[in-house]
Amino acid sequence: MSRWRRMWTVATFEFISTVTRKGYLITTFGMPVFLAIYATVVAVPAIVAGRATQETTIYGVVDTADLVHLRQDVTAPKTRAVFRPVATEPDARVSLARGALAGYFVVPADFLERGVMDIYTPAAFSASNPTGRDSRDAFADLVRARLLGERVDANLSARIRDPFADARRFAVTKNGEVSDAGALASALRVVVPLLFMILFMISVMMTSGYLIQGTALEKENKVVDVLLASANPDEIMGGKLIGLGGAGLLQIGVWLSLLLIAGVGVLPVLFSGHVDVPWAAAALAIPLFPVAFLFYGSLMLGTGSLGSNARESQQLGIIWSLVAALPMFMLALVLSKPHGTASHVLTWLPTSTATVLVLRASLDPGGLAWWEVAGSVAVLAASTWLAIRIGARIFRVGLLSSGARPSFRDVLRQARLAD
Amino acid sequence: MAIVVFDHIAKSYGATPALDDLSFDVGSGEIFGLLGPNGAGKSTLIRILMDIIRPNSGEVKLFGETRRRAHLDRLGYLPEERGLYTKLTVVDVMTYFGALKGLTRADARGRALAWLAKVELPEVATWKIERLSKGMGQKVQIAATLLSDPEVCVLDEPTTGLDPVNVRLVQDLLIERRKAGRTTILSTHQMNQVEMLCDRVALLNKGRLMVYGTVDDVRRRYSQPEVLVQARGSLPAVAQAAETRAANGGWRVTLRDGDAPSALLRALVEAGAEIERFEPQLAPMEDIFLRVVKEGRS
Repeated sequence: MSRWRRMWTVATFEFISTVTRKGYLITTFGMPVFLAIYATVVAVPAIVAGRATQETTIYGVVDTADLVHLRQDVTAPKTRAVFRPVATEPDARVSLARGALAGYFVVPADFLERGVMDIYTPAAFSASNPTGRDSRDAFADLVRARLLGERVDANLSARIRDPFADARRFAVTKNGEVSDAGALASALRVVVPLLFMILFMISVMMTSGYLIQGTALEKENKVVDVLLASANPDEIMGGKLIGLGGAGLLQIGVWLSLLLIAGVGVLPVLFSGHVDVPWAAAALAIPLFPVAFLFYGSLMLGTGSLGSNARESQQLGIIWSLVAALPMFMLALVLSKPHGTASHVLTWLPTSTATVLVLRASLDPGGLAWWEVAGSVAVLAASTWLAIRIGARIFRVGLLSSGARPSFRDVLRQARLAD
Repeated sequence: MAIVVFDHIAKSYGATPALDDLSFDVGSGEIFGLLGPNGAGKSTLIRILMDIIRPNSGEVKLFGETRRRAHLDRLGYLPEERGLYTKLTVVDVMTYFGALKGLTRADARGRALAWLAKVELPEVATWKIERLSKGMGQKVQIAATLLSDPEVCVLDEPTTGLDPVNVRLVQDLLIERRKAGRTTILSTHQMNQVEMLCDRVALLNKGRLMVYGTVDDVRRRYSQPEVLVQARGSLPAVAQAAETRAANGGWRVTLRDGDAPSALLRALVEAGAEIERFEPQLAPMEDIFLRVVKEGRS
């Protein structure tokens, strides 16, 4: 029986026995349902708050200087603020105390000379508008409009008040190509690598859970010797990585598919050409995902196998989960300077190559040198090969040790004898 | 013909020696008893045979050549500390173990069902392992080990915890293997089984080979030169009898140094004795085991 067939046998067994497990099925199909319910519950306060902001809010204006020329209620553009003329400050105060006004502005007669304006708000704190900035901005715009309206024409007044009201954004590549740089396009450049990072983290954590738990159970159930009498540790580890990795990827595939089905309307927008999809990053993500997964999987399985029970194994394996999550903590650094020193260092570190490379390729593909991509991928591939070798040796030691966890000295000694 | 050869095997765990220059072989088609007290080095030797651990020095030869990983497909192993995947069904686990030995999944599944019938447990095929009783689980493990029909099979205490009916069932399976020309290495502390089943034995103590040979030879070697004789009337005095004393309704005769039981029998018949029972006294394996271990301690 060939080495590959033995590995395939282990992989098939691990895959089938995992994907047919009740817990796996519940997680795979129950998780999206749970997340949907969770998202709904979380969204309810936001919806309620959103509705609240859509309600008309009335502010009083005591225009002693007759600067704003309010004769009736005026709704500020792009807001729900309504400005209502009030004759005197005491009248406005009574209305505010009654709750008829959300606040009021007093424009004194000498406003143009002194620039002092009084703003009155309720003493009670408002979470939706704690500083009252929205109403101030709206009233400021109204004042500007009225001041300019008497001196310049309407178009000039509008340009002075907001020159970027209808601005468009474009991005120019080093080759001189122009593409849309609007909010959606910019968002995609961050969303794609972030999605990659999150999926990678989830798959590493979920699969490592299966890997470590399965191996710990084999040790506890005393199946290990039977396995080792049929296949060597490299074959068992390889089979487990493929089988359980496949189960983890299938799970993510199901979730992604459900996500795509739910958001199928977005696809035509992506392919319409108006949005700059970071295809280079997406293309890099496809081969980097399994390589990085093998890198972490080998180390996690090797380290986890040293535990004397499932809980201890999980604790040992969590070290690598934290290392895998490190690029998330460094995200701000890479986002602010995609080609800065920190980004370069993280690109060449095999523990973060995959995620940082995808992020940089998404943020600024033109600024990423080909040799940096090739070099860092080569370092990652070599590190993965090394991780598999080291992981297999530790795995062998871990499998053979039962009861107490082996000492570091034991690990070194037995690993040396492994071949 | 030797099918397994241990050639000067030595193994130590740190400063603690486990096996000390061990050399012996196991013949093709025999049931070979691997005996020894706890900690004698039996499990270490078996794990070296199965390539689970490596010796510090020495070599294992299988099927006439230096042991290779490919040979593992032709070996079966039932460890003493054994278990199964508790959450899976019996037939799935057996199929997996068969597939690991090179069988196709379909073949392994077919054989698993056949072997379950053979060990009188056809109804448990779809049960989860956790539902099995201890004895059932043990029979399933034996069946899982034997379903690939390994040329050499190592069974470490296969009958521990089984009732007498199932012990007999397992013994019959081993005898059947011997008839089919398959080799079985049986590690056990049950000496009655050794006498009943084994062709040859190796007794280890503190990592050293203390006793090695056919069961009859070993028993003879460690026996007192005595014969139990029952006869009508009195027993005539003959030169081959150094000492005669009454025992169990007959006589226990100690042979003169250098004389064989057959010489005594011939002399008694020639002297006119009417012999009804003539039984050379062989030492039980249990006594030999205890004696060797005791000598090792002293």
